[in-house]
Amino acid sequence: MIEPASLGNFFTIFFTSAMVIMLGALYALLFAFSRLKGDKRLMPLAYLSYAGLLISTLFLADAANLLKHPFWTVIVAFMLVGYLLAPHAIWHLCVGTHAAEHVEVEPIKNY
Amino acid sequence: MATLGMLDSANLNGGQKLAVKYFTVAIVLFGAQILFGLLSGLQYLYPDFLYGVLDFSVNRMVHINALVVWLLYGFLGSVYWLLEEESQHEVVGLKLGNLIYWVLTAAVTVVVLVYLFVQIGPGKESSIWLINEGREYIEAPRWADIGIVVSVLVVFFNVAATFSKGRYTGIAGVLVLDMLALFGIYLAGMFYTTNISIDQYWWWWVIHLWVEATWEVMVACIMAYGLMKVLGVSRKIVETWLYIEVALMFGSGILGLGHHYFWIGTPEYWFSIGGFFSALEPIPLVAMVVHAVFDAGARHAKNNNHPAMAWLIAHAFGNFFGAGVWGFMHTLPQINLYTHGTQWSASHGHLAFFGAYATIIIAMFYLGIQRWRGGTWMSGDLPGNGWKWKWALGLLNLGMVGMTVAMLVSGYVQSQIERAIEGSTWMGYFAAQIHPWFVQGMWWREVFGVMFLVGFVLLVWDLLTIGKGESRKMIEVSNAA
Repeated sequence: MIEPASLGNFFTIFFTSAMVIMLGALYALLFAFSRLKGDKRLMPLAYLSYAGLLISTLFLADAANLLKHPFWTVIVAFMLVGYLLAPHAIWHLCVGTHAAEHVEVEPIKNY
Repeated sequence: MATLGMLDSANLNGGQKLAVKYFTVAIVLFGAQILFGLLSGLQYLYPDFLYGVLDFSVNRMVHINALVVWLLYGFLGSVYWLLEEESQHEVVGLKLGNLIYWVLTAAVTVVVLVYLFVQIGPGKESSIWLINEGREYIEAPRWADIGIVVSVLVVFFNVAATFSKGRYTGIAGVLVLDMLALFGIYLAGMFYTTNISIDQYWWWWVIHLWVEATWEVMVACIMAYGLMKVLGVSRKIVETWLYIEVALMFGSGILGLGHHYFWIGTPEYWFSIGGFFSALEPIPLVAMVVHAVFDAGARHAKNNNHPAMAWLIAHAFGNFFGAGVWGFMHTLPQINLYTHGTQWSASHGHLAFFGAYATIIIAMFYLGIQRWRGGTWMSGDLPGNGWKWKWALGLLNLGMVGMTVAMLVSGYVQSQIERAIEGSTWMGYFAAQIHPWFVQGMWWREVFGVMFLVGFVLLVWDLLTIGKGESRKMIEVSNAA
């Protein structure tokens, strides 16, 4: 079911795992700022962060032997889709839940 | 009639008077946690230090138990703090609540004294009931376990009865159910089985589900209340987000329990469940980043209590890095095989507990002291430019980050030498313990621990003096609370 990581891959795993979370947050942060400020220039940077997250996840998956097993490969795919869609979904929830109160900055809806 | 700038009980409602008592004990236990942590840290460096007088096993046990109990006191205090305001009704059964507070505090004192004075002895059935249950993190003897359950039941009664007679809000509904879970899950750690795997299986229900379910939900309720009070966010919004966050946390947090079942002899499917849900656990944190940016942008973070606001922000960052980054770095079983139970776990535990729980309770302390002094000014332009709370915030956070990184270095050495190279043998254990990188990590942990202690002293000093003699009223923030 699991194939333990090799000693040589320890650092890669720790580093890429941390990067997955950090870049996930950076993607969410830039995504939210871009929509909040209406600044379209931030959106490519947001997706660049996501691309970094994707690369980190693939390196992590390789170092932790995840891609050798279908189950763990599905988890990797699920994670990537989850991180990609979560900020979109939460933004829609934000707009919906704040609809009744005055929001000073009109969110940009279409990209 | 509010007395501005003076500590006056007349400024508080009944529940808040009881909350102040809980907060006071929480701070004392916080101090005890730091003291015993520093002593056990020193024993890593000088193993003979206090040997036979105050053994490492006892120091460490008191350090961790003090953490669990001061956080519990902080949470119970926070619940009593918001209860009357939230329900618009006086606390039902307040006398019973007060009585239970004194009984619980007396019990905690007796338990700690027994820990300190009966450090070694035979392991008999009677020692489980009277001395020490022997289960890591929840070592309290069985009589104290029963006392904790009864105490939480009384708090549950206070909360449920007050809300049923007063206003029933969204926060009320979540809080009542959570108090019930807080009581119910603790029962899972109160019986023994002869099979260690089965025993550990249930033991984790208390450790993981208290921390990553019931405490997280309580934090979400406190945060919802705190945001209404400090930032003036409307009730409709905080309650909607309370439901969303609770759903997200439950979605990943409950079965994230599986990452504790990797190596205790449970069936192999826990690898899949633990790995899958642990991978999902950081997603709610990413979601919260988006929401925080949206909310801050919409209301420019105008607030009436700068120290509380700063600690709420510290909570968001601490939770993200401690639970999210430090947790995910070693949560997959492929790497957790080597890191589980090393200083790596301790590194994650320190930052996660501080970031997710200690910070928000400290924010509640500041909200409490503001009201206790009659709703005094706590925004900018405080005497001395508020240097005490700022230095306390800086030293406590830097001290914690320093300790976390130091333990990370030691944990890295342990996972490589003790686990991967030497295969978890005794020889491997000692080889890692004497390795210069491990020892240096332990030294730096102690140095940053002292920094943390200085921050704690400043925090207590600030809590005792902030707003004293202040004649300005706090800023009113508009909300629909």
